[in-house]
Amino acid sequence: MKTRITELLGVEYPIIQGGMAWVAEHHLAAAVSEAGGLGLIGGANAPGEVVRDEIRKARKLTDKPFGVNVMLMSPYADDVAKVIVEEGIQVVTTGAGNPEKYMDIWKAAGVKVIPVVASVALARRMERHGADAVVAEGCESGGHIGEQTTMTLVPQVADAVEIPVIAAGGIGDGRGIAAAFMLGAEAVQIGTRFVVSKEAVVHENYKQRIIKAKDIDSAVTGRSHGHPIRCLRNEMTREYVKMEAEGKSFEELEYMTLGALRRAVQEGDVAKGTVMAGQIAGLISKEQTCKEMVEEMMEQAKTLMKWE
Amino acid sequence: MLEKMKEIISEQLSVDADTITENSNFKDDLAADSLDLFELVMALEDEYSVEIPAEDLQNLLTVGEVMNYLKEKGVE
Repeated sequence: MKTRITELLGVEYPIIQGGMAWVAEHHLAAAVSEAGGLGLIGGANAPGEVVRDEIRKARKLTDKPFGVNVMLMSPYADDVAKVIVEEGIQVVTTGAGNPEKYMDIWKAAGVKVIPVVASVALARRMERHGADAVVAEGCESGGHIGEQTTMTLVPQVADAVEIPVIAAGGIGDGRGIAAAFMLGAEAVQIGTRFVVSKEAVVHENYKQRIIKAKDIDSAVTGRSHGHPIRCLRNEMTREYVKMEAEGKSFEELEYMTLGALRRAVQEGDVAKGTVMAGQIAGLISKEQTCKEMVEEMMEQAKTLMKWE
Repeated sequence: MLEKMKEIISEQLSVDADTITENSNFKDDLAADSLDLFELVMALEDEYSVEIPAEDLQNLLTVGEVMNYLKEKGVE
């Protein structure tokens, strides 16, 4: 299966892994790359040296290409941007903002830059500034989200830019991949399904919460202050939504969720932690290796799309 | 220039052109979020054939500031 994305990234399958904070560490990134997709180390709010260490550990596990996701709102984003160049990373995805200021140093070092975008205008702007591709991410995805759905965003972005488009948000099996390609994408980004992979080093409670999730278990917190986050509903989201309705300040709400993602992912507190997951969590029913996931999804997509 | 700006802003942000003044703050008065601002800046770049880099963008908070910025870039 060849697309402009598989050619650009030098991977076998048109699947890239989401750069999920606290989840996308070196074991998962290496496993997705070994499975034929593109694994990513999530920079999240980590200092540059932590990311450097993760990159080196992933290199010990795989000779295949993998990338780094830079969370642009991180206080260490400048540092991480430099580490990427120093460590010879070939692919970067960026989230939570506009990566223009790093474009020059990355392009000079031959890094492929793939910003995650939630609107047509941002996609066009990224193309104008030299992005190699964009991830068009709909609000079905977990974590920080925009307002448009994958179904509506992907074809509009695909029409608006010449560079290839990677669809994200709500994709968890081969049907999702096939649908994304029908909408004009040339690859997909998958997050939630990889959280429950055998190689993902996250708390068992977090995996089980995703596996048990039903279609209606998805909640969005933070809409009232303009920073919507999708996760699975629990005690925390109920309390949060109640406080939002009472008009509590951004600071009060932020305080409640401080460290809550780490509590869910690493400590397994799925009642009071932020159980980040996309809407597709309801579809995800078992733990598998990344290789089993990738091959199963690709097999299904191939049959549906009649790919050779 | 203000008239043309009002027209572009009104179209991009779906606000009444009559409510837009030089002192209008994009976030506080016109309720524009970051995606709206990208929408607007792309429209301005297209209209005036200028490039507005991100580091400049963060300092442009009001309609008047954008107008001054464009004038400095040689826009009539």
